[in-house]
Amino acid sequence: MTNETSHNDHQGHGSTGLYVTVFVALCILTSMSFLTYFDFWRERVPVGVSRAFMMAVSCCKAMLVITFFMHLKWEANWKWVLTVPASLLAIVLMLVLVPDVGLRMRHASYTRMIHAAEVSPEVSGDHPKEPHDADHSST
Amino acid sequence: MSDDHKSDHQDSGHGHSPMFEYQPALPISIGKTFMWLFLSTEIMFFAALIGTYIVLRFGAVNWPSTHDVHLAEIWGATNTFVLICSSVTIVLALEAAKKNLASAAKGWMVLTFALGAVFLGIKMFEYNAKFSHSLFPIYPHSQIYEKADVYYAQAVRKRLNGLKADLENTTERTEAQNEQLTLIDSISLDYVVPAEKAIREDPESPAGRILLLKMADAIYPRASVHEHHAGIRHAAAQSSKFKLISTGSEAAAGHLQGLNDQYHWLKLPIMIPGGNMWVSTYFLLTGFHALHVVVGLIVFALLLRMTLGTSKAGLIENIGLYWHFVDLVWIFLFPLLYLF
Repeated sequence: MTNETSHNDHQGHGSTGLYVTVFVALCILTSMSFLTYFDFWRERVPVGVSRAFMMAVSCCKAMLVITFFMHLKWEANWKWVLTVPASLLAIVLMLVLVPDVGLRMRHASYTRMIHAAEVSPEVSGDHPKEPHDADHSST
Repeated sequence: MSDDHKSDHQDSGHGHSPMFEYQPALPISIGKTFMWLFLSTEIMFFAALIGTYIVLRFGAVNWPSTHDVHLAEIWGATNTFVLICSSVTIVLALEAAKKNLASAAKGWMVLTFALGAVFLGIKMFEYNAKFSHSLFPIYPHSQIYEKADVYYAQAVRKRLNGLKADLENTTERTEAQNEQLTLIDSISLDYVVPAEKAIREDPESPAGRILLLKMADAIYPRASVHEHHAGIRHAAAQSSKFKLISTGSEAAAGHLQGLNDQYHWLKLPIMIPGGNMWVSTYFLLTGFHALHVVVGLIVFALLLRMTLGTSKAGLIENIGLYWHFVDLVWIFLFPLLYLF
């Protein structure tokens, strides 16, 4: 395999055998990500680990496609100019939205709960109520 | 004109202004440069959509499970495999074209086109599964309610009344239409009326809310609810005056059948928590991706009209880059939509 890749580097593109190998690797990775669908996986593996695993598999597949099929392994340094800013943009864009939109439901209920208006006892005519749990409100 | 300038420079002084040779920005062809620049804009496009989906999905109050919205992971995985195969075939087409094997290149290209068409076919099958369960991306076809509350009951009642009025206004009713009328009455009496009555009489008690949830479940049973409560029969069906064919029971195909499934003409509003956000993001992401696949297929069709020799290798390479990108987007879309 190393002989083949160094020969390919010299040539500037891959051989058919290399492409088929990459294809097989992609198929294996796809079936690995499909494992998470089964019950035994859902029972044994925590959700966070499962998601990290799926994203890792997707990134591996993406790297294989980009490096070999899109030929970037054999291209010059300009590939970093295109790929690095685009990747940074993708990740950063998502991260900036996480505090406001992504974590919306983490703290909203608690904040609402502690600041929720209470009906004063004089008006309602009975004992002061517990602050309403805001979980079942529509927004 | 450039010749005049050259002669001017040569006359004005010995080596006063050096003659600049035009250097391309990147050591690749113009076509390839522009394809990569276009792909970086596409990356930004899909990064925006996918990033938004991730954030909305994890920040949502409720989100339907994949089985609630009839999303079958097997078709997503099959589509992934189909696109990976098509990526391989287009690379092999390029290799053949570089070696000037025009007929082999055309053969691989035909295969790529066929695989792309298979992808679209499976996508259409999946979309049909959504549409047949009244999961549409926009109003007025979309009748998805987030909660089983009084507004939902009102919408169901209005739909039933509308259907009833149409049937009653038909002068000569067929046997089938009479049966429809009976069914509408039974649904109304079994589900809608008791639920609305209970919630009206005692809004604070859970009894009304439970009846509303049972009504929603009878119309559109959600797999996530039934997996949790396996084996519990609905009491409402047993206490009805009218004979209803088993509602909410497992169909032979192993997927829950509600009233909307059994009677396709009913089209009652359905209740799926998080359903509206789900349909919006799902159809947006897969719709834009499918559009890109269609564009790719059109370009393949145009390429197939040419002889794919060495002179066309650059063109095939650039189209291949676009097609690999389409595959790449799907590689990320598949786990996000189907497996999370």
